[in-house]
Formats: sequence, C-alpha cells, structure tokens
Amino acid sequence: MYDFHNVALTPTQSLLLNICILSVIVFAVLRSERRLDDYNPIAMLGVLAIFGIAGRILLDPIPNFQPVTVIVLLAGIYYGAPRAVALAGIIALASNFAVLGHGPWTLFQVAGWGLVGFAGAFFADHLLKDGRLQLNRLAGLAIISAFAFDWVVSSSILLKTDVSMLAPYLLNGLLFDLYHAVGNLVFVAWLANPLGEIMLRHRVEPSSQSVSEVVTNR
Amino acid sequence: MSDNLKPLSVIAVIALIILAPAIRDALREEAATYVDDSESSHDGLPESWNDTQVFCVLFPDQTSHPKFTSGVTMIEQDGSTLGTNSEYNGTGACVGGFSGFENGLDLMDAAVNSSGTDLVYNLTEFSFGLQIDSIGGIEPCDATECSDSSGAYWALYHNGGTSLVGISDIILSEGDVLLWQIATW
Repeated sequence: MYDFHNVALTPTQSLLLNICILSVIVFAVLRSERRLDDYNPIAMLGVLAIFGIAGRILLDPIPNFQPVTVIVLLAGIYYGAPRAVALAGIIALASNFAVLGHGPWTLFQVAGWGLVGFAGAFFADHLLKDGRLQLNRLAGLAIISAFAFDWVVSSSILLKTDVSMLAPYLLNGLLFDLYHAVGNLVFVAWLANPLGEIMLRHRVEPSSQSVSEVVTNR
Repeated sequence: MSDNLKPLSVIAVIALIILAPAIRDALREEAATYVDDSESSHDGLPESWNDTQVFCVLFPDQTSHPKFTSGVTMIEQDGSTLGTNSEYNGTGACVGGFSGFENGLDLMDAAVNSSGTDLVYNLTEFSFGLQIDSIGGIEPCDATECSDSSGAYWALYHNGGTSLVGISDIILSEGDVLLWQIATW
C-alpha cells in the first residue's frame, strides 16, 4: 500500500549511509571481540574478514578507497603469510560474489593481496617491535602495497591484450593507484593501532602464557 | 613522526582531492599519445567521411537489432542514410561526418541524437567511471551466455585499438573513429 522503500539516494547520501553502516559494523565487531578468549586467531580472522568485506563493499562509492590492503598487511604481520593469504582470498571472493562482480580478476586480486600478506609477514620483525607497531614503516609499506596490488590486478589485461598495452594501461591507472595509496595512509594512521592491539591479544601462544613458573622435579 | 601520521593523512586526502582533476587531465593527454593513427580505421567507411570523426556500433550476429539487421548502415550527422556496407566486418551502424569534438562522450551523444532512437544507450555511473549497459536496447549478455565465471561487456575501440580510458575520458582528434562492440571474458 505504501511505498516507503522507494527512496532514491544521491551518491553522496549513499556514501554517508554506507559509512554509518560500516561504523555500526566496526563498533559491533569491536564489542564482540571483547567476548572472545585470548588467543583465538581463527575467530579474529573471521572478524577481520567481516570488516574487510563490509568495508570493501560499503566504501565502493569512493574509488579504490578500502581497508582490505591494510587489514591483510596487518594479518601478515600478526598471524603470518598463510593466514593472511587465506584472509585475502575470503575477502576478495566473498565481496566479489556478493556485490562487486566475480571474474578472472578475482584471482589477480587474491594474488595481489596475498603478496601484500607475504610482505607483512616478511617484514614483521621490522614493523612490530615489543608489541608496538612501527607506524611510519607500516605507512610506507602500505603505500608501496597499494601500487603493487593495483599493478598485479592490472596485469590481468594480459589475458586479452599483448604486453605492449601494459605500460600505458598502468600509466592511466596512476590516479586510482594514488587513491589507494592515500586511502592506505588514512587507514594506517587511524586504524592500525586499535586494530593491532586487538590482533596482538589473539597472537600470543597460550602455552607461553599458562606456564609462568619453572616446574622442577624433586 | 608517528604522532603526525593522522594530520599527515588528512593533508594527503585534501591534497589529492585538489590535485586529482589536474592529474586526471594530464593522464588523459598522455593516453591520447598511445592512440593509433586514424587512417586505417576509416577503411570501409564512406570516402566523404575521411578526416571526419565517426562513431560506430557493431551488434553481434546472433542478436538482432530491430533496424540494423545486415551490413553496416552509414548515417550522416543530419540523420540521413548514406547507404549500407554489407562487406564491413559486422552488423550495425556508423554515424559520421563530425568534426570539432574533443571528448568521446560528446561525440557519442551527438551521433546517438543523429540516429534518432536507434542507438540510444543506458549507462551506470560507478566511482571509477561510466559503464555502458546497453546500446540500441542490446545488453551484452543478450549476445552471449553469461554465468558466474564468464560474462560480456560493451568494449570501446579508439581508431581500431582497445581504448585505454572510458568514453568520457577520451580526448579526440580530427578523423578519429570510436567503435563499440560486445566483448566477452
């Protein structure tokens, strides 16, 4: 009878709505994390996947501005390359299947973010010292990761064209690479520390916590 | 310096918003240097259109456009039909004789207007640019079977080569030929 849902939103209104929804998701995810036992990296990866998928879909109105690269980078630092690659695959596949569109490029996106996860794991000792993230170094690697990821995904054009097209194609995507790089800088500046503190709680091995005193035989 | 990262990120966002139009224009002009010469792309078009700008749409064989059923119909910018080239590589229509257009979308709009309602298009505006959904009422997946792992799209060619930029970002020269054709992935 009533057509209450027939409301047309402008792109700006849609973006603001999405940011509100994403804020609710982040708040709910952070609240739910407090109920997890310490050292529960798999549940933490699930939480990160929800955040990554929701962030990627809801921030889609802003070109190439999404939190996935930084999330995967942090996953590489805290949980190692295999789990970061798994997280990259879940986020890319789920968000593409659900909304953004699935195709051959999904494989290149998984490869690109997998590479970012590997980089995080490889440089973990330099990026995380005494449990504290080295934000400047992380920001630098996140900016480099933006270009590396975009170029890996852009190389998917080689499925259809010859290699001579690649250089001009990458050149034309430079503005979108900059969007991604600046977006990563924003996410590192505002999200890396709070997210890192949560991830750290689920990183410590339980055996190293539970045995606090040396047991001797008499 | 890590304490400065938050204000630095805000400054970077503001700088990018301010500089983005200038960067985009510079990249468009750079893209234009990679576009092939227009001479061979006029093959099969009327000689009177040499050195003029032309807009073409080729429809897939298995999908019948209500009007353009065989060969390529050549339409002048005033809407009159010059004839049909049955030896052109495909079925569809070309609208030509234009000059002075600097932007691809402007030429497309002018050509579509010249054709009446036969080449009317629908588009979706994404954050990364425009996507052409249908031309002349034909959607890409009308021409080929689309599934989760395969699909089709309206591909844009500029002087015979795959366009590196979207229709609204193309910088045109005199004699350029734009062509839309369905491609698959």
